[in-house]
Amino acid sequence: MENAGRPTQIVTARAAGLIGCTHCGRVHPSGTQVCTRCGTHLTPRSVASLQRVWAWWIAGLIVYIPANLYPMLRTASLGKTLESTILGGVIELMHHGDYGVALIVFVASIIIPVAKFIAIAYLALSVSHRVRLSAHRRHILFEVVEFIGRWSMIDVFVVAILSSLVRLDFAATITPGIAAVSFALSVAFTMLAALSFDSRLIWDAGEQEAGKKEKERSIG
Amino acid sequence: MDEPQIAEPLIEGPKQSFWRNLSFVWLVPLAALAVTLFIAWQSWAERGQLIEILFENAAGVTADETMIRYRDVNVGVVESVSFSDDLTSVLVRARIERAVAKALPSDAEFWVVRPEVTASGITGLSTVLSGVYIQAAFDPSEIETGATRFTGLDTPPLVLPGMKGTKVTLRTADGGQLTAGAPIYYQGIEVGKIEAPRLLDSGTGVVVDAFITAPHDKRLTTATRFWQTSGFSVNIGPGGLDLSIGSVAGLLRGGISFDTVFSGGQPVTEGLVFDLYESEEEARSSVFKEAIENPVDLTVEFEQSVAGLTVGSPVVYKGVKIGAVSTLGAFIEEGEDGQIVVLRATISIDPSRLGLDPDTPAAQTIAFFADAVTNGLRARLISQSIFSRSLAVELAELPDAEPAALGIFAATAPLLPSVTSNLPDPGATAEGLMKRVNDLPVEELMEQAIATLASIESLAGDENLRAAPDAFVGLMDDARAMIGGPDAQALPGELRQAVAELRGVAEDLRTAEAVTKLVTALEDASEAATSVTDVAGAFDEKIAGVPDLIDGLNQLTEKANSLELEQFLTMATQLLDGADKLIDQESTRKLPESLTGALDEARTALAELREGGAVENTNATLASARSAAEAVEAAVADLPQIAERIDGLVSEAEGVLAGYGQNSRFNRDTLDTLRELRSAAEALSSLARALERNPNSLLFGR
Repeated sequence: MENAGRPTQIVTARAAGLIGCTHCGRVHPSGTQVCTRCGTHLTPRSVASLQRVWAWWIAGLIVYIPANLYPMLRTASLGKTLESTILGGVIELMHHGDYGVALIVFVASIIIPVAKFIAIAYLALSVSHRVRLSAHRRHILFEVVEFIGRWSMIDVFVVAILSSLVRLDFAATITPGIAAVSFALSVAFTMLAALSFDSRLIWDAGEQEAGKKEKERSIG
Repeated sequence: MDEPQIAEPLIEGPKQSFWRNLSFVWLVPLAALAVTLFIAWQSWAERGQLIEILFENAAGVTADETMIRYRDVNVGVVESVSFSDDLTSVLVRARIERAVAKALPSDAEFWVVRPEVTASGITGLSTVLSGVYIQAAFDPSEIETGATRFTGLDTPPLVLPGMKGTKVTLRTADGGQLTAGAPIYYQGIEVGKIEAPRLLDSGTGVVVDAFITAPHDKRLTTATRFWQTSGFSVNIGPGGLDLSIGSVAGLLRGGISFDTVFSGGQPVTEGLVFDLYESEEEARSSVFKEAIENPVDLTVEFEQSVAGLTVGSPVVYKGVKIGAVSTLGAFIEEGEDGQIVVLRATISIDPSRLGLDPDTPAAQTIAFFADAVTNGLRARLISQSIFSRSLAVELAELPDAEPAALGIFAATAPLLPSVTSNLPDPGATAEGLMKRVNDLPVEELMEQAIATLASIESLAGDENLRAAPDAFVGLMDDARAMIGGPDAQALPGELRQAVAELRGVAEDLRTAEAVTKLVTALEDASEAATSVTDVAGAFDEKIAGVPDLIDGLNQLTEKANSLELEQFLTMATQLLDGADKLIDQESTRKLPESLTGALDEARTALAELREGGAVENTNATLASARSAAEAVEAAVADLPQIAERIDGLVSEAEGVLAGYGQNSRFNRDTLDTLRELRSAAEALSSLARALERNPNSLLFGR
């Protein structure tokens, strides 16, 4: 953070006409298509990256709607069939007094996915719009989103395990509902959205601004 | 600043079109959107038609759980349970599958299935676990009615829509034995059910709908009659005792049976009303008069009492009911002796029952009867049963009856001649029975019985009789003590001893053998001789027999003397020794004293005989005989026995001597002696008898 105050003193690779490999980190001259070390396709920053982010994000959001409206679990017990959505399940758990479990389910199934949507959208928007959050913080946010994405699958795993274990015919049977598939897709799509996001764009935006300022200053 | 600078070229790539720039990734959200929309549409499309059902009460119906079932398949679920606007009923909103909703007619029936235990069995047991469900029953309609509001039933309908069968209505005066759901039997097989009986609006009767299921409803014709089979019934009526027992299920639930009671019925139409009869008999008998399609009326006049004959009483011919009495009445007719009362009955005859064609014209049937009457057909009254007074009209063939003809009149039905029958009068019979019972000497019998009982009682009350058991007990105790006593115990031993002794005597006697017997005979003879000598001495030969006897004895003695005496005497002595032994024995000792005494004297006589000739010692012998006379007198009682024994012994001695030597002189002499001895013994016997008769003659010499 100590060099945050003097970004102009750093010569970025891009400014130097170089392109870095995202995989192994080797720097190549601009225009090189393939990394000479690891063979990764070298991609300069492009607006298409943001397109992909938005595409996955929207797809994730679309499937997130049925994931919440449709039943996650269909529990058949002694002839009675009970269908419960995610939120319905949380409320039911609270009615039973299992606040802890309800909180876990609520956080894992509602808070985190929604927070992910917001975070990815914020990051994507921050590339083209000025935001108050510094580039460093946004990068940390990105790291967090990418890390936490995989944990959103807890719900899906629970449903998969339950429905494969609880098959007692008439006594009790649990089958996954449409929401389980939707939710899994939603999580996958948001993860892809996070993956598609080129974190270098965060810095590029900062650099551009810094460059503009410098130019203005030199002009002025 | 005035030096112009070369502007930095702004290098930009070719302007890419917006579409070219568009990534393929955008297909993903589009696909997601499409899938989501499809799912949404699908679930909306699958969402059932909302219907409303009104229930009186909806116990157990819960929103989102209670299922709607049609033919036991879930077709929908209850969405909400609320009240109707006026709060008079429960409004159940349910979503049912569109395919089902389309075919739902407006008269579809819904009812709540709950577990139920009835006499018919247990139903709805599955709902104990799964909760209640709403059962729908309807006949699927071809066209879409669009009906969405229905009224639920409180109880499951007995007849489900779509069930094949025929529904008829039964009419009865009393519905007390009818319960909803009671079975309908046809020859014992359950073929249908009745619904709840309901009062007619007029209140004058009860009607109940009955449903006969499909394969059996073709049994229903207009000739069908229904009757109640409520378990069992006991009926004592004009027909006697009637006991009918149905099935146990019928006993519990009641029930209705039907049968086709005559042929020729027409197929029934839905909703036909039948009468429900109280009993099978009533149902069957009710049919008859209705069933006569072509009745022929005949009139019968009775001279005797017709009490017990009613309208409807059967007319039987050889035991078969061929008709019934249709009218009955008394008529006054002008006769030769003035007015007489005639009891006239009109009977309806069914020609078909007589084996005629049912469509036979009346005239032809009457002609048949006219012919029969000429041959002796007569009407008479018979009793229907021995228990009742009810009568029936019997058409009997009585060839011996007075000739008569069927009276055919223009105005009235043909008159069938009747004969007076000998009806058993149950009343009179009963009276006779009572009279006979009355005549029984019941009172005397009772008095006697009472007296007998009294005497038995007094006897039983007697003190002695009461003591008798005690006395018996004492007697038994005594007897037991005696039997248990040492004396009684010793008795068998003593007996055994006596037997042994007797055996010993017999043995001794056997050892003594013939010689012993001979000695005995000789001793007897000596004794007799001594006695006789004594007697002779005492009476101085006054008794004529005695000298002869003495002579005989003397001769005998002489003969004996002339015999080989020594040998004989030796033998005799030996024998006497044996005899001594015998006498020494205890049993012998018990012989009469006199016999012993006689033996002693015989011994002395023998001693004298040995010492010298008998003749020489006659005096001494006579003297000793005198003393012996006393002994004789004492032995008089034993004389006959002695004589007999002498006789027997002589016989034995003869036998013995016969084996001794057939032709020896000794033998012959001995035999002679013995014979004389026997004659002497006989004489002795006669003497003894004489003495016995007159003992004094011995003393007084006569």
